[in-house]
Amino acid sequence: MKKIVAFMTVFLLALSVVLAGCSNNDLASGTSDGNSDSGDKKSNEKVTLRFATWDSGEALKLQQEIAKKFEAENPGVKVQVEPYSDGFDQKLAASFGAKNPPDVMYMWNYTEYYKSLEPLDHFIEQDSEINIDDFYEGLFNYSSVNNQTYGLPLGFTTHVVYYNKDLFDKAGVPYPKDGWTVEDFKEKAEKLTNVDKRQYGFGVEAEPDPYDIQGYVWSNGGSFISPDGKKIEGYMNSPETVGAIQMLGDLVKDKKAVLVGGNKQQSGDDIFKAGKIAMYESGIWPLKGYQEAGINFGTVEIPSFDGKPVKGIINTSAISMAKDSKNKDLAWEFIKFFVSPEAIKMRTSDLPVRKSVVQETKVAEDPLYEPFYTMLERSSDTPAFLLNENWSEVKRNLSLAINATMLGKDAEKYLNKAVKDSKKFLKE
Amino acid sequence: MSTEISTNVSKQTVLQTKKKFKWGSIIPFLFISPWVIGFFAFTFGPLLFSLVISFFNWPIVGETKFVGFQNYIEMFTNDPYFWSSLAVTVKFAVLFVPFNLIIALFLAILLNQKVKAMSAFRTIFYLPSVISGVALAMIWAWVFSGEYGILNYFLSFVGINGPDWLNDPNWALVAMVIASLWGQGTMMLIFLAGLKNIPQNLYEAASIDGAGKVTKFFKITIPMLSPIILFNLIMTIIAAFQQLTLALVLTGGGPLRSTYFYAMYVYENAFKYFKMGYSSANAWFMFIIVLGLTFIVFKSSTMWVYYEGEMKNK
Amino acid sequence: MKFGKSLNYTILIGFSILFLAPFFWMVTTAVKTPDEIYLFPPKWIPSDIQFGNFMKAWTIQPFNTFLMNSVIVTALSTIGQLISSSLVAYGFARFTFKGRDFLFMVLLATMMIPWEVTMIPLYMEFNYLGWINTLKPLIVPSFFGAPFFIFLLRQFIMTIPKELDEAAKIDGANHFQIYSRICMPIMVPPLILVAVFQILGSWNDYLGPLIFLNDQSKYTLTLGLSQFRGMFGVDMESIMAVTFLICLPPLILFFIAQRYIVEEVMDSGLKG
Repeated sequence: MKKIVAFMTVFLLALSVVLAGCSNNDLASGTSDGNSDSGDKKSNEKVTLRFATWDSGEALKLQQEIAKKFEAENPGVKVQVEPYSDGFDQKLAASFGAKNPPDVMYMWNYTEYYKSLEPLDHFIEQDSEINIDDFYEGLFNYSSVNNQTYGLPLGFTTHVVYYNKDLFDKAGVPYPKDGWTVEDFKEKAEKLTNVDKRQYGFGVEAEPDPYDIQGYVWSNGGSFISPDGKKIEGYMNSPETVGAIQMLGDLVKDKKAVLVGGNKQQSGDDIFKAGKIAMYESGIWPLKGYQEAGINFGTVEIPSFDGKPVKGIINTSAISMAKDSKNKDLAWEFIKFFVSPEAIKMRTSDLPVRKSVVQETKVAEDPLYEPFYTMLERSSDTPAFLLNENWSEVKRNLSLAINATMLGKDAEKYLNKAVKDSKKFLKE
Repeated sequence: MSTEISTNVSKQTVLQTKKKFKWGSIIPFLFISPWVIGFFAFTFGPLLFSLVISFFNWPIVGETKFVGFQNYIEMFTNDPYFWSSLAVTVKFAVLFVPFNLIIALFLAILLNQKVKAMSAFRTIFYLPSVISGVALAMIWAWVFSGEYGILNYFLSFVGINGPDWLNDPNWALVAMVIASLWGQGTMMLIFLAGLKNIPQNLYEAASIDGAGKVTKFFKITIPMLSPIILFNLIMTIIAAFQQLTLALVLTGGGPLRSTYFYAMYVYENAFKYFKMGYSSANAWFMFIIVLGLTFIVFKSSTMWVYYEGEMKNK
Repeated sequence: MKFGKSLNYTILIGFSILFLAPFFWMVTTAVKTPDEIYLFPPKWIPSDIQFGNFMKAWTIQPFNTFLMNSVIVTALSTIGQLISSSLVAYGFARFTFKGRDFLFMVLLATMMIPWEVTMIPLYMEFNYLGWINTLKPLIVPSFFGAPFFIFLLRQFIMTIPKELDEAAKIDGANHFQIYSRICMPIMVPPLILVAVFQILGSWNDYLGPLIFLNDQSKYTLTLGLSQFRGMFGVDMESIMAVTFLICLPPLILFFIAQRYIVEEVMDSGLKG
């Protein structure tokens, strides 16, 4: 029995060393955690502001630098940058669920999260330093719910078509120009395809996010949902919507385009870099990567459907404050700093949201960036997710129908089915 | 500290002599006490919480509302993804469980030989299990891509025009099974340790009796290994039903929901649609299925599992 | 006989190629220049080897801190797991007591509830304890045994003949002595297994650190690795470079440990 007691003692000792060791770590780092007892009670200690981001790599480094600058200007404040990268939603759900969210966070999905976020309108009204007129107005659409502003825009991108100049030259096909049509697009795609060399004119994701497809749908005069957000019958399965999606599906079926992987592996970006697709539609994200890989490429706006007006979509990142934050004034200061011209200028991974910054850096005059700004003028339609609270569940059915079309099935049949399956979410 | 221990010990010796019977009945609980304490400290609460919440509408952000059995009724009667994801998982399990056991055992036997450089082979065979998540998904995307994949590249050398694995609803699940089998190193190692545990003299005795390799395998290896087979079988079943990561990072459930596993359905309900209550109801339904399966396997194990430790006791 | 042996080697080498090829691709990708990564057919040997990619990837974020945290978590949780799981497994394997089978079924059942639904309540509990953003949630629970390891060790203990226990009992040994002196020495191979799996599980754990850690100074290697994979776009060569570096320590440990898994301890145990 001596042994067992000695053993248990050792066991408990080890455990307590572990516990104590961890606590010491916390003390050593000199800050209070994001726990319930954090913050202003201990006045001589630093106040920690938690800031969550989904960015990674260079973009993350930039944000860490912005945070450092904020710390330098606000002594006594520590900004804890928490990069959740692609675990963002999961981590945010857990921390909101346990009522321990970060004070400030990146945000785009406002219809899902707005109930846990602090409306920013009264901060904006009381604070003239923010200079709200300097932002592109349309961007606030994406961070407002029920006429309340829940976030300030940080960066955005429109969608353009990237094309590989070398492949065009080799095939003797003239480069696409703004104002081109879907017919031109198809013709070029066909000429640039060489199945034996596994080279294709265009790349489409097998299951693209319906959000990203909306540009084509709008350009063809269609829509996923009625403008009041209450009806999908006659919208999601209208001939225009079906036509736009079928057009992409047919490109794959006719071997003018190849299916590329979603989910970040063997993605269109990768295949474009490999020089196996001549055109690819995307936002600003891969631009830097293409330059680094030494691709000779150009950008052009989305083609129009027989002269109908071209419409585009915008992807935005915005910054928001948690309702449960205990340092709301400080959080506002940080948000304000983060969207200041100085900080916006530091961001290079997307497009600046402030007109003054665009004027100063002349980014819109760069031929590679120019189409992004022409597309911005064409991106006034409201995306479906902002129109209906249950959109994410409708989207699950819609996504399946689009997936089916890209795999060679009939768009109309599957979109009709998606409409039927989704009706229960719409309270029609 | 030492005096404390010695007083403790003397107390215990006293106790032991006085109430010898009671000590005896407490000893087993002393041994399992770490788990029991841990269970009540870290497992029981969250489990109970998820069970309770399955009767609520809990959108994580927003108001919580009691809904009775509504979540359960909804998933059985009004949710096509419930049935389709359940079917995918069952299909996966039926393919994966037997293949996984057979291949793991085969590789373990292969590694259980006395040949040169075996240490290197063992390490190489275990290598796939060491690589973690993100890179693994990239490797598999590179292997299975229809146009640019390495698998089809090699298949083309032998004149086979391979399918677009991850974009073909008929092949995507097979690709998942292949990818899962590649990382079976855990089961293989457990089998290997089990094989080494079989006393060599049993084989020697059988050789003297003139038994062949096949006879030895079925009359000695399999029965002696049966406790380990039981373990691997149950763990493989549980793993098959919880298969999630690979689908999440590689196919996202597609194409046409052909790799939309039940665990992914649970995951998306929780973290994509924020229906935590509904997701908990899903999870508890899966729990009952897996528990039932495990129970059946365990009950049947008295017929085919041979425990050296127990048999000798009878 | 000779034919059999060469056939053996052929099979072993065949499987080895199967297991090594993707790994090889991972390593070469890590040292490629961006324009060579996506070539098809793939370029097996990069024309310009960029060893600098390792350094670049490792220094873009504080990976040395991540490494420290990973080492602490892995070492402590492995110690905890070895002690607690073996004790509990012995308890389940060597005693008959009331409610044993029920308890064992509960133990198995706890593995069957998907983490998706217990994660948030567990987060709440750790938050209540003040453990969020510390390494405790990743270490302390392993001092209370894990069902997987308990079940595994139980199966192995049950294959040990009971005569050994009986003999020791006659010599006056108590249960703890039987556990520590008779059982554990025989159990070295499965205990090595537990150590290997726990080290790897702890080392490669992504979800636990993601959920329970906030501050970068507490992050582990896998969380650091995920920072090459943002919501939009990935940094392929850095992921491959860091993954390669991360999987080296467990691989080397495994290479050292594997011979203890297959050593013939059982025989010596029986003879002794």
